[in-house]
Amino acid sequence: MKKLSYLLIFVIGLGFTGFAQDDLSPERKQAVDSLAMEKVRDLSKYISIIGSKETPWSEANRVIDRAEELFMQGSEIGVSSLVRPEVSYYGVRKYLERLMRLNYSKVEISWYNIEYVSDLQKQPDGTYVGVITIFQKFKGYDKEGKLIYQDTTKKDITVYVKRKETQIGGRLIGFWDVLLGDIRVKETSK
Amino acid sequence: MNQILKILSKVLLASLMLTIVVGGTTSCNSKKKLAKERAEAHAAEVNRAKRDLNNIINGETTWTLDQQAERVAAIKAKNWGNADVDDLVEQAEETISKKRAEAERLAEEERLKREEEARLRANQSEFAVIDNQLASIADATSVDEANMLINTALNQYATPDIPVLIIISQAGGFNDYDRPTTISKFLNYLKDKKQYKYKVESVKRDNMGKITEMELIVK
Repeated sequence: MKKLSYLLIFVIGLGFTGFAQDDLSPERKQAVDSLAMEKVRDLSKYISIIGSKETPWSEANRVIDRAEELFMQGSEIGVSSLVRPEVSYYGVRKYLERLMRLNYSKVEISWYNIEYVSDLQKQPDGTYVGVITIFQKFKGYDKEGKLIYQDTTKKDITVYVKRKETQIGGRLIGFWDVLLGDIRVKETSK
Repeated sequence: MNQILKILSKVLLASLMLTIVVGGTTSCNSKKKLAKERAEAHAAEVNRAKRDLNNIINGETTWTLDQQAERVAAIKAKNWGNADVDDLVEQAEETISKKRAEAERLAEEERLKREEEARLRANQSEFAVIDNQLASIADATSVDEANMLINTALNQYATPDIPVLIIISQAGGFNDYDRPTTISKFLNYLKDKKQYKYKVESVKRDNMGKITEMELIVK
């Protein structure tokens, strides 16, 4: 009976420890929200660099690697066009490589109105999941510098945030791992 | 004649006795007075000692701790055998001992604070150099310029793979970090983002003076 009591106290203690670590104060939650948002902004920058015809090939490939690291394995990115009704989905690397090889002489891609449509919510497994929406303005030019295609696409990006730990220099470092999931096309307009 | 001598001797005897009686009485009065004066002086001294001891105990004196200790020692040395005084002496000694310990603690705190401030000042000037270097990569006007600055900066790090930790929030002595990265990736990140919005929080160096770990904080 005594042993059972000790076991119960230990288990309850563990429960409280877990609660203390996972239950975020508003300040910490805000920092995590901002971190996830920053990862989406990073992707926005990477997409702009990869798509730009002025980016050297080696740089574009390096940035593709960095951009790919932002995603969960197996994530897909939707591609839409004003001339095609259906949305095609590609794996992240394939999408980025296609972006690098787009058949335009000049490409301009910018993201704006980046905001949460669904706040980060804690899931039973401890992962925080949210959805960030972005608007992407795409412009493609020919070699004469004439704008030959442009569209605006609204996209939803699922973000996953999980607390992890790693050893660095003999220290245990607790960090927030933000990973992007699928990027779904919501609407495309001129 | 005999009669006269007899009377004279009686008178002398009476005078002598009177002298002795009067003299004795005067001497006794004088001793009592002296004793009374001494008792009063002692009582005053004891009262003064009690007042001083109470002032020390209640922190109502302007004396330094050394002066207080000297006064208590002087009172203790009198060894009056007065239970009240002895009790007050004990309390005063305890008070002085506590105040000395507190003063020593405060002095140590002050010393550590000054050391920490000096260390921070030294770090700030050291970190400012690193901050400026990182900011210059973000501000580079071309990929080539940024790459050149990155190569120069990398000379200060033990390897291109040393860990870079980014603090995203600090609360209650607890740091929240972003996913750890390497200095090489971080410098390229600055080149890509064209923005340096961090501040160096700490660095670790090897015995060659090269940085082996760096901690940044989001501004």
